[in-house]
Amino acid sequence: MVELERRGIPTVFFTAKTFVHDAQRSAASFGLPGLPIAVLSMPATNQRPGAIHAMVDDAIEQVITGLTRPVEPVTDGHDLPVADEHLVYRGDDLLAAWDAMQADFLTRGWSDGFPLVAPTRRAVEAMLGGTRRAPGDVIATLEPGFGLATVEKLAVNAVMAGCRSEHLPFLLAAVRCLAEPKMYLRNKAMSTGPHAPVVIVNGPRGRVARFNGGICALGPGAPSASNSALGRALRLTMMNVGHTYVGISDMDTIGSPLKYACCCAENERESPWEPYHVTRGFRVEDSTVTVHFVYGLCELHDFKSTTPEDLIGVFATAATNVAQVGTGLWLLGRRSDPRYKTTEQEHNTMLVCPEHAQIFAREGWGRERIQRAMYDATRIAFRTLMLNKERAAMAASHPELGWLWDHPELPVPIVEDPGCFEIAVVGGAAGRGAYFYGAGEPVTMPVED
Amino acid sequence: MAQLEVLNPVARPVRHSITPASRRTDLSGATIGLYWNMKAGGDEALTRTETLLRERFPGATFRRYHGSVGFLMRHCTAEDSDRIAREVQAVVGTTAD
Repeated sequence: MVELERRGIPTVFFTAKTFVHDAQRSAASFGLPGLPIAVLSMPATNQRPGAIHAMVDDAIEQVITGLTRPVEPVTDGHDLPVADEHLVYRGDDLLAAWDAMQADFLTRGWSDGFPLVAPTRRAVEAMLGGTRRAPGDVIATLEPGFGLATVEKLAVNAVMAGCRSEHLPFLLAAVRCLAEPKMYLRNKAMSTGPHAPVVIVNGPRGRVARFNGGICALGPGAPSASNSALGRALRLTMMNVGHTYVGISDMDTIGSPLKYACCCAENERESPWEPYHVTRGFRVEDSTVTVHFVYGLCELHDFKSTTPEDLIGVFATAATNVAQVGTGLWLLGRRSDPRYKTTEQEHNTMLVCPEHAQIFAREGWGRERIQRAMYDATRIAFRTLMLNKERAAMAASHPELGWLWDHPELPVPIVEDPGCFEIAVVGGAAGRGAYFYGAGEPVTMPVED
Repeated sequence: MAQLEVLNPVARPVRHSITPASRRTDLSGATIGLYWNMKAGGDEALTRTETLLRERFPGATFRRYHGSVGFLMRHCTAEDSDRIAREVQAVVGTTAD
């Protein structure tokens, strides 16, 4: 709508009541606070036509006003409240002052809900010792709020998360992943879906910084303390640097525990294959961070199978879940940021445990063969895949597949091609991995000083 | 009394500014675009909108649009926006959820 206004076309758009603040903030971020909206009492999704018509009837005067009355300049309300760069909290003792800080950060929406490490000047200076970059260097501009991700701001959020200075370069790399046009961060940060960034660390620096790829790699616990800290820092960064705030610009309707922190290293030592980051175009000796937004996870549990084929048979059942939005989503097209003309396929990430990896490897199966087998095994009847998808969206993206409506029982792949299964080796012994339902594609960046 | 001084974690934003389009007070005879981003139910909202706007603005005509890229939601490219701007005098969009 902002682009049409820029071209001299008056606009108004419908939004549900619960999304008004989000809509106003978005309009302000894109440079047009006060962009007219017409408010529906409920989202139009899952509503019958009669109910939608009634809501439009109630909102039509707002439509007409929006199209025919001048847009009033808005001078308040939609910008983030500005606070001082240095904040002072007082109490009977330091702990009381720290309590006051916690309460204030919660009130302002700067906290993930868990107690924060106080980002004192001394703590931030110590954190900045983890990089050679200058504090004022801008690593990225993060959407949806177009926040300037300076090294110092990232260090502040890293302190809050409980990171050590050796974690900061990993956070900088993760932020560069977020800022890549192909990541289409805005789409994931603002969605009504529970998009959580899964972070996978590879390479020697990850081992030095004690990222865990073995037992209980996805946490919690002391062995995964580095994992937890980095994952949490990324979430705090999305909030405070990207301005992804719950109910304001993060419109996730259900939430997810994965959004607090989801980070692990690959278990390169026990993997029979080349490390995951090598498949992403890096050298073995490089250290990298991969970020892949996901909706949720399912276990890949199998204590019994001893052949690759049997393992695939079990793993495929995790993937064929139509209640998961990404399943078969390729039928409607691809995520695409129209500003950069990027496109993304829907990828899913499989964290295969070392034992299962060995079963595959001893039969000569590498990643590509697993991907192919998963692609062949994960097919669902077309009519089932389309149960929760707009027919018009499929017609717009794939008119050439219209014939499928005449063959509703035809099994159709759940992903666009075999490469849509990412595979890393993670975890301890005893036959349990994890399958992440992905949102778009992963992005990998090198860890640099 | 103890004092704890901390740094603000919130980043300053890059500011953008767009001048809104001027409005005409009467859309009678205008061509009005109805833009659907493919979110479920949005097309029904636009159908009802068209009915009501026809009653309010005699002679108004309507054109339906959706973005040329996307999936669950479709988005307009710059080229889409240029084309729509050439063809209509106002746009109603659905839905920002």
